[in-house]
Amino acid sequence: MNLKPLCRMALAACLLLTTALGGSAQTRMPQLKFADRTLPNGLRVLSAVDPSSPTVAIQMWYHVGSKDDPPNRSGFAHLFEHIMFKSTKNMKSEMMDRLTEDVGGFNNAFTADDVTVYYEVVPSNYLETLIWAEADRLAGLNVDDANFKSERDVVKEEYRQSVLAPPYGKFEYLLQQKSYSEHPYKRPTIGSIEDLDAASLKDVQDFHSTFYRPDNATLVVVGDFDQKQLDAWVDKYFGPIPKPDRPLPRVQTKEPARKSETKLTDHGANDLPAVGLTYLTPRQADSDSDALRVADAILSSGESSRLYHSLVYEQQLAAEAEARADLREDNSLFVLIAVLSEGKKPEDAEKSLLAEIKKLQDTPVTAAELEKAKNQIITDQLRQRENSSGKALALGEAAVLLGDPNRVNTDLSRLQAVTAADVQRVMKKYFTDENRLVLYYLPEAKSGKSTTPTTDSLTPRKEGR
Amino acid sequence: MRINLLIGLCLLLLPVGVLGQTPQATPPPPAAPRSVTFPKPTEQTLANGLRVIVIERSDNPLVSAQLLIKNGGEVDPPELAGLADMTANLLTKGTETRDATKIAEQIESLGGALDSGARWDASTVTVGVMSARIGPAMEILADVVRHPTFKTEELERLRQQNLDNLTLALGEPGSIARFVAARVVFGDTPYGHPIGGTTESLTRILRDDVVKMHDRYYRPDNAILVIGGDIKAKDAVALAEKCFGDWKKPAASLPSFSPANVASNNPGRVVVIDKPDAGQAAVYLARVGINRKDPEYFRGIVTNSVLSGYSGRLNQEIRIKRGLSYGAGSSLDARRDVGPFAASAQTKNESGAQVADLLLGEIGRLATTPPNDSELAPRKAVVVGNFSRNLETVNGLVGQVANLALYGRRLDEINRYISNVQAINTGDVQQFAGTRLDAKTSNIIVVGNAKAFLPALQKAFPNVEVIPIAEMDLNSAVLRKKK
Repeated sequence: MNLKPLCRMALAACLLLTTALGGSAQTRMPQLKFADRTLPNGLRVLSAVDPSSPTVAIQMWYHVGSKDDPPNRSGFAHLFEHIMFKSTKNMKSEMMDRLTEDVGGFNNAFTADDVTVYYEVVPSNYLETLIWAEADRLAGLNVDDANFKSERDVVKEEYRQSVLAPPYGKFEYLLQQKSYSEHPYKRPTIGSIEDLDAASLKDVQDFHSTFYRPDNATLVVVGDFDQKQLDAWVDKYFGPIPKPDRPLPRVQTKEPARKSETKLTDHGANDLPAVGLTYLTPRQADSDSDALRVADAILSSGESSRLYHSLVYEQQLAAEAEARADLREDNSLFVLIAVLSEGKKPEDAEKSLLAEIKKLQDTPVTAAELEKAKNQIITDQLRQRENSSGKALALGEAAVLLGDPNRVNTDLSRLQAVTAADVQRVMKKYFTDENRLVLYYLPEAKSGKSTTPTTDSLTPRKEGR
Repeated sequence: MRINLLIGLCLLLLPVGVLGQTPQATPPPPAAPRSVTFPKPTEQTLANGLRVIVIERSDNPLVSAQLLIKNGGEVDPPELAGLADMTANLLTKGTETRDATKIAEQIESLGGALDSGARWDASTVTVGVMSARIGPAMEILADVVRHPTFKTEELERLRQQNLDNLTLALGEPGSIARFVAARVVFGDTPYGHPIGGTTESLTRILRDDVVKMHDRYYRPDNAILVIGGDIKAKDAVALAEKCFGDWKKPAASLPSFSPANVASNNPGRVVVIDKPDAGQAAVYLARVGINRKDPEYFRGIVTNSVLSGYSGRLNQEIRIKRGLSYGAGSSLDARRDVGPFAASAQTKNESGAQVADLLLGEIGRLATTPPNDSELAPRKAVVVGNFSRNLETVNGLVGQVANLALYGRRLDEINRYISNVQAINTGDVQQFAGTRLDAKTSNIIVVGNAKAFLPALQKAFPNVEVIPIAEMDLNSAVLRKKK
């Protein structure tokens, strides 16, 4: 039920972004040793040698995401991500697949609100080839109209597959869209069919020259390679790409604080109603993010989590209940969702979700529950870092979204420092009535037709149910 | 072979126009490859018949353990579809000394996860934890396998959860198509039903059925324990002995499983499930495939790879050339008995018939236009790459080895897998496609808003059966509720 990030292809498993956190006092968390250099043209290069498998992971993190979609082009950053696999001066369409898939590796890419990431894993003897290829598509694209249109059709099918076909696709879409009033985060990453149809080849060239520049990119390489050789290849292929003189546009819009609770209702092709709550929370780099992550784990990690235990197990109100700290660069969201059990009322699920929030506000969590949440986060992180691509994702996220690659190693102590009082404090601070959005998503009467999400398809729900 | 391939590609890439800002117009060639070796599993059998397999790998402080029971959804009685899955799921919902809440509390306090469920041919309970905590985690794993209580209230709770999950699945064209495809291919034989059960069968399952299923199949001589990760083999075996050594083998002999006779099914069906509110159509081509012991297993997976994967023929034709789908692919699921082959894509409702035609066309074309060496080599590389990457994680490693053990394969097959794949040639693919994947004996399933694609589909397939979603019945191969 996670709307983001969107991947180039559905065929490969889509790696999700998870914030890197540390290890527990009792557990040896292997430190990730890495090299960090920046070329004169601004490209940052992070690399970590790990010869355990004869493969290497290469990732290009571009600091541009769906929040940077041009006006009236919602979904463009993601469409552009697909176009990056079409032709350049030196590569014909899909050549990236020839260089990766055909030699036993793979590639994919994803677009999130704040970043677009292209990644490959290849047998390590192909590293130089991929450094060349990533430099080539940073240097410029050379896409024709037929390729552009056909890939745009693919993205429209991705829209249908992720928004229209799943029973709760539109619910997730609306939850994101309605949670922000000003900030471009209000445009879901996948965009709309209308805006996708309006996009042109000129938009592609403009977007590339605006955002795809070495000083807006971070190259991450993890795996089986020689450091000196890598440095030489990076200099050779990326070094000549010039840094443009133009300033890099950055989103300046600030999301205003919410002043009163918003209640909305919409309908879809779902058979079981769903309820979603969102709260605006600070940017990912804020020091409260650690406590919010712990709160997320306490509420929804595993079957002993509070939401599962209360709503799914004890009360049997919900078929699914989850919370997620949806951390973003500018302004995060904390999301709580319940998909109801047969015959249950959304009002009751909302009441129970609110009751769980209140409990966390009124009573500090026990030491055991806090320790459990930390252990769960640490184990998840160990699993994420089992292979080179997971390690590279952790490095890239720390560098680009947290502004400091060392956070891959120092987040351990930040996590360990979170106390029960911290959790209680953030719950009180952010989970207020006026900072809440409530969305009811109810089954359409079976004879009616479901609506395509648009900005005005929602009717405000009356107060005083 | 890899080097040849890359040079071949370079020749195709004549530089167009002036050089870009990168200093060269063609990709640098690869260096010499490094070879891969995977850890070697060791094994022994405890006195009670439990087979214990250990794979040591110490680069990360994690251990996974999986206990497999060598039967799953295929032993569900016809009226009680979903029983094996329910039995496996209920294991973690209470034992003689721990209730459901305590099990979840204890395992999650260790930072671990305990999952159980049934698949085809096996029921599994898996635990993954930091290596320092495998002792207490394994003790809980053994407790839930050996001493479940199957309390009625837990059964009722799970029944409702499963019914809700089924409702969710029946709202999605892709999952409906998977259910229907299994019925069409396997009819009323053991792989035909939804493994999680149907609305009707879930309602029928009683506690007594669950207890009988557990008594009959959950026994040490019908089980395999696979432990992998940061643990020494002797410690793993000692832990297995401590947790499972006194698990008694029943006197009764093991029930035997009679293979299904899928050949008696009537192939060539074309079934449309009409779901007017579907946001997209799910299109499936489905047929019988192979079993895991089939001598043509490696021919099969390489052939499937020619069709499937990002640059496989299906995605080439449907997504890359025509923009008709976000992704098209196929799967060849080799089971103890003959499993399914399926090719599928989701597309806008209006393109449902065109995509069905493309799926069928590509399956047919495999035998008439088999891949030449330059097409085949990269597809084999895909199979090898996926296999190797899967073994990079402890869970992947344990899963692969457990599968070999389940199907009676030699465990060192993980170190012969790559050469087995490399040995397949174009003639092998052609033969496999021609004899095992005949398009004419395949079935087509389309789930979506029929109004948008039915006329075109009927033109191509006069035998199409249209079933409105409200009249669909997953309990039998007829697929239609009795009037």
